Amino acid sequence: MIEAFFETAAPRAANVVLVLEFAMGLGLLVGARLARKGSFRQHAWCQSSIVLLNLAVVAVMMIPSFRDHVLPRIPAKLGKAYYALATTHAAIGTVTELAGLYILLSAGTSVLPEKFRITKYKAWMRSVLVLWWVVLLLGMATYTRWYVPHLFRK
Amino acid sequence: MWIVGMAATAVVALGLLLAGSPKVAANTQQAATEVKIDNFSFGPVALTVPAGTTVTWINRDDMPHTVVSMDDSKTFKSKVLDTDEKFSFTFSKAGTYPYFCSIHPKMTGKVIVQ
Repeated sequence: MIEAFFETAAPRAANVVLVLEFAMGLGLLVGARLARKGSFRQHAWCQSSIVLLNLAVVAVMMIPSFRDHVLPRIPAKLGKAYYALATTHAAIGTVTELAGLYILLSAGTSVLPEKFRITKYKAWMRSVLVLWWVVLLLGMATYTRWYVPHLFRK
Repeated sequence: MWIVGMAATAVVALGLLLAGSPKVAANTQQAATEVKIDNFSFGPVALTVPAGTTVTWINRDDMPHTVVSMDDSKTFKSKVLDTDEKFSFTFSKAGTYPYFCSIHPKMTGKVIVQ
């Protein structure tokens, strides 16, 4: 059913990842809304779950694909949209995921020493949320370039 | 005199025929063993060749693709082929060899070896 909906050249796994990532992006917006309403516990659960779920998706799906299809061709082929989009998505995505994990560790645990903990939570969280959506849009652009043939037919 | 002219014409025609035939046959054979990858498809989708033939896939698409056999032992598997890159495999045994692009699994083709 999911293939019928997309009608692209993508494998099922890529479609599932696209849907999951979009849902996670929306989930983070819902989580941010929870913080604004003062439901901080639910906010923490929501955002932490999404950051960890994304880490799993990146590790299981994205890193192997990037290693096989993109890594052998960069930097030589970075002039092509196929590689440039995926590489930019991977670079900013890595920074964003690490920043998300840092917030999670800093705000939700006492693992980090005092001097490494965040004091300006709002600024960090808002910045990561914006970056997350930039990465999500880059991911959608990458999906489109890789798997939607009728947009690029000669 | 006209007989000499006719004979000369016949000799030239025969020479052209003999010289041209193998060339045409060779071209046909060469074309038949090449699979072009373009617009997210393999062409021809099904290729029939005699055993011992080397088939070459060439990526004419502006997208990277792969050529991977569908059998469990992965009889042949290319690296990621960028535009204008080639992959060749020699089919020594008769049989049907379905294959696909591992990046775009809906792209499929087969080589029938007789």
